[in-house]
Amino acid sequence: MPGAPHTPRVYFTTLAVVPFVPGATLVTNILVVDDSATIRRMVRAALQPVAEAQFVEAETGLEAIERLAFAPVGLIVLDLNMPDMHGLEVLRFVRAHATYRGIPVLVLTTRGDDASRGAALAAGATAYLTKPFAPAALAAEARRLLERGGVGAGR
Amino acid sequence: MPDAEREAGRFSDSFLDDYFAECDEHLRAMRAALLKLETALRDGRLDPGALEQIFRGCHSIKGLSGMVELTEAETLAHELESYLRALRDAELGLVPAGVDTLVDGVMELERVIVARRDRLPVPPSAALIARVRALTAGGASAPAGARTAAAVTSGGQRWQATYVPTPALLERGVNVNTVRERLQELGTIVSAMPDVRAGGGLAFTFVVETAAPPALAEWERDGITWMRLGEAERAPAAAEAAPAAAATAAHFVRVDLARLDDLMRIIGDLVIDRARLAESLARVEPHVPANEWQAVHEHRSSLDRHVRDLRHGVMRVRLIPVGDVFDRMVFVVRDLAREYGKQVRLELHGKATEIDKFLIERMMEPVLHLVRNAIAHGLEGPEARQRAGKPREGTITLRASTVGDTALIDVEDDGQGVDAAAVTARARAAGVPVPDGPLDAGALLDLICAPGLSTRETPDRGSGRGVGMAAVRAAVQEVGGTLSLETDPRRGTRFTLELPVTLAITDAIIATVGDRTFAVPQNSVSEVIEVEPAAVRQLENNEIIPYRQGTLPLVRLSRVFGVAAAPRPRLHVFVTGRGAGAVGVAVDRIVGQKEIVVRTFGDRFIKVHGVAGATELGDGRVVLILDVGALVRSGEARGVR
Amino acid sequence: MTETYILFTLAGTTYAVRTRDVQHMEMVEEITPVPNAPSFVEGVVFSRGQVVPVLNLRARFGFERIAPDVRARLLVVHAEGRTVGLLVDSAREFAGIAADAVRPPQDALTGLNGRYLEGIAVLNDRIVLVLDLAAVIDVAEPLVGGAKETV
Repeated sequence: MPGAPHTPRVYFTTLAVVPFVPGATLVTNILVVDDSATIRRMVRAALQPVAEAQFVEAETGLEAIERLAFAPVGLIVLDLNMPDMHGLEVLRFVRAHATYRGIPVLVLTTRGDDASRGAALAAGATAYLTKPFAPAALAAEARRLLERGGVGAGR
Repeated sequence: MPDAEREAGRFSDSFLDDYFAECDEHLRAMRAALLKLETALRDGRLDPGALEQIFRGCHSIKGLSGMVELTEAETLAHELESYLRALRDAELGLVPAGVDTLVDGVMELERVIVARRDRLPVPPSAALIARVRALTAGGASAPAGARTAAAVTSGGQRWQATYVPTPALLERGVNVNTVRERLQELGTIVSAMPDVRAGGGLAFTFVVETAAPPALAEWERDGITWMRLGEAERAPAAAEAAPAAAATAAHFVRVDLARLDDLMRIIGDLVIDRARLAESLARVEPHVPANEWQAVHEHRSSLDRHVRDLRHGVMRVRLIPVGDVFDRMVFVVRDLAREYGKQVRLELHGKATEIDKFLIERMMEPVLHLVRNAIAHGLEGPEARQRAGKPREGTITLRASTVGDTALIDVEDDGQGVDAAAVTARARAAGVPVPDGPLDAGALLDLICAPGLSTRETPDRGSGRGVGMAAVRAAVQEVGGTLSLETDPRRGTRFTLELPVTLAITDAIIATVGDRTFAVPQNSVSEVIEVEPAAVRQLENNEIIPYRQGTLPLVRLSRVFGVAAAPRPRLHVFVTGRGAGAVGVAVDRIVGQKEIVVRTFGDRFIKVHGVAGATELGDGRVVLILDVGALVRSGEARGVR
Repeated sequence: MTETYILFTLAGTTYAVRTRDVQHMEMVEEITPVPNAPSFVEGVVFSRGQVVPVLNLRARFGFERIAPDVRARLLVVHAEGRTVGLLVDSAREFAGIAADAVRPPQDALTGLNGRYLEGIAVLNDRIVLVLDLAAVIDVAEPLVGGAKETV
C-alpha cells in the first residue's frame, strides 16, 4: 500500500418506516438532531421510557429537514449549535411551512446561553431544556409535548 | 438543581466511553486545524475554516463535558470558545501568542480529559485560563493581528445545484449529507438552503463555486440538477458550510478495538481450520476419482482466496494513518524545543501511511522518547550549530512508509550523532560489558539500550511509564519489530523502527533444518536462492557466498540452533535484511509457503534470541517462528564458525 | 485447613502440588524443542490455544533424564501469572493435606532441592514432598543460552 490512503466508508441510513394514520396514537417518531453522536445516544436513552416513541436521527440541520420530509415526526429534539445550519434556521424552516408547522420542538440549549434561549422561543420553540439535562426531565417534557401536540408558545 | 444534575451524572456514566471517543475525534481535528492556523498566520492570514473547526471542537467538548459532569473540561473549553468567538467575529486579531495559547489550551484540554479517563487527579488549569481570559479581554488595545477577512471567492464559476431527495435515493445511500460532501470535493459551497416546493416536495439548493464544470449526467442520477449562475448573480447566503468541518463524521462507524480483536481471533481460527482441512484433503486425495477431485480442489482454492481476502479486509479496518501520531509530534516538538533551548524544525513524511491502530498506540511512547532524545541530546544549541557551519535551526525528520508487510518509522536528526565514547564510559560505569574494538552501530545500539544506562533522563513529563531506551527497544520487540541505529557525528542520527504491519496472521516460508520444522515470516525474506556447497568460501571466521555482483555472508541455521544438518546436494538459502546488512540464512529444505497464525510466545523460559513466536501447521504440533534478524545478530555475536 | 493436592512421582519420589494451581493434566504428546533455551526446558506445546513451555522436572531437580513413556504426564500449572507445563513420571492421585501436616523441609533431608519445596508431609506412612511452585518456575539466572541477553 504505498501511501494511498484508504478510509473505510460505511454509512448506515436509518429510515423509520411507519404508516402515518392521522388521529390514531400509534408509534410516533421523535427526530433527534445534534451533531454529537454521544448526545444523540444520550437523548435516545433518556427517552426510552416514552412508550410510543421510535427514533429518527439527524446529524446536521439539512439532514434534519430531509428526514422530516420522509417520516412523520411527532416531536423534534433540536440542538442549537450545529456546524452546517444553526438550529434556529431549522426551527424557522419548520415554522415557516404548513406541513411541519404543527410539530412540537424541544430545543436543547447550553448552560448560560440565555440569548439563544430567548431567540429560540422567539423563533417558535415549543419548549427548551438546558444541557446537561436530567434524563427524567427530558422524558417528562417529551411526554408532555407529545400528548399536547400542536403549536409552540411563540406562534 | 443539584439533584437533577446528579441524576444526569449517574445517567451519563454509561456514556463515558462514547464521551472519550468523541472528544478524541474533536481533539484530533483541532490539532490538525491548529497546524493550519499557524501556517496561515505565518503568511499573515487568518484561516477562517481552521478557526471555525477549533471553535466547533471547543463548543462540542464543552457541551459533552457538561453532560458527563467534567467541569474542568467544560470551563476550559468555555474560555477557549469565548476567545475563539471573539476572533471569529473579528473583534480580535490573531497574534502568535494567541496561537501558542490555543495550542497549550488544546493540549491542556486533552490532559484534563485523559486524567478523568485514567481516573487520575485532574490537573489545575487556572494559569492557562487566566492567559486565555487575558487574550479575550485584549479587545481594543490588542495589537493588530490577522483578522477574519470577508469571504474570498476561490475563483471559478458559480453554479447552482438543486438536490431533490426521494425514498429511492435514500435507500441507495444518497442523502443531503453525502451530496454536500461531494459538492465540497468539487469546489466551495457558498450557500445551502432547503425549500418546500409548490407540490409540497422538498428540495435543497446549493450554490457552489468550482473551477471545473460538473459532469451533469452523473449528478442527475443522484437527483441533483445543475444550473450555471451568471457572474453577477449572488445567491443569498443562508447556511454557510464550514469547509471540511462535518466532512468525515457521517461516513464512519466507531468500532471498539476489542471487537476487531475478536474478529481477528476468529479469522485466526478460520485459517487454522483451513490448514487442517488441507491436511485432511491431502490424505483423502488418493481415494477420490480425478474428475471429482477437480471440483474439490476448486472449492478449496476459492475458500483459500476468500479467507485471505477476509483477513486482509479486517486488517485494513484496523489501519489508521500515521499522520494522527505525527500531528501530535508537532506540539511535542514545540514544547521540547522550548524546554531544551533549541531551535527545531519538524519535517513529516508519509503521513498517509497506514499502520495497525494497536501498533500505533504501542509505538507512541517509544517514538516520543526518540524525539525527546533527539532534541535533548542529538541536536546542538543554535550557537554550537552556527559554529559548526550548520543552520541554527535543527531539523527532526519523522518518516513513515510501508514495504510489503512491514512498516518503517524513522526518527532522524541532523545533530551531532551519538557520542560513542560517552556511551562506552557510561556503560562501563554501569557495569555493562563493552565489547573490544571499534563499535559498529548495532553494538552501540545494544549499549544504549542496556538496562541501567538510560538514567540520564530525568523523570519529567512522560515518565512513570518506563522510559529509557531499554523500554523503547523492548516495546518494539514486543510487537515483533526491530530497532536499528545509524549515526554519524557530522550528519546526525537516525533510528529506524521496523514493525510488522499484520500482527496476528502472516505469510511465512516453511523450512526444515535437520528434523525440525521452522516458519520464517515472509516479510523478512527478500529472496530465496539455491547455492552449490562448493561455492561457499571462508573469510576469517565467516562464510560467504556469491550473490548478485558481490558476496553475501552466510549463516547456517543448523549451527545457530545446534542441530545436525542433513547433507544436501544444494543449499537452500533465504536472503534477509537490506543493503549492507543483508545476510543469507541456510536451511536444509524450503518446504513451501503458508499463511500462519502467530501465537505469542511470552513466557520467560522461552524468550530466546531468534524465536519470535509459534504457530500450528494444521497437525497440532508447534512450529517455531524465527526472528531472523535476531538470529543473524546472535550468530555474529558468537562468531559462528 | 485441608487443601486438595495432586500427587505425582519423579524418580521414585512422590511430590504434591495444589490442585487449584493446576489448570489441567494431559498425556505427553509431541514437545517442540526450543533452541538455546535452558537445558531443563524440554520445549513447548500448545495447550488450549496457548504456547506453553514445558519444564522437565527431572532435569530441573538434577535427576537423570528418561524418555517419557505412557505413564508420563504433563501438568499445566498456573503460578505467578504464568502458565507452565511440568513433565513428570506419572500423576494419578489426589489427596487432601491439612496445612499443619506440612512440615518445613530440613536441610539434611532434602539437600540441594530444598529450595523447590514448601515442606514435607506424611500421608499414610508415605513421604510426600510439597512443591513450592513459584520457586520451581522461577527464573533464577539470566536465560537465553548462547547470545547475550538484552532485556
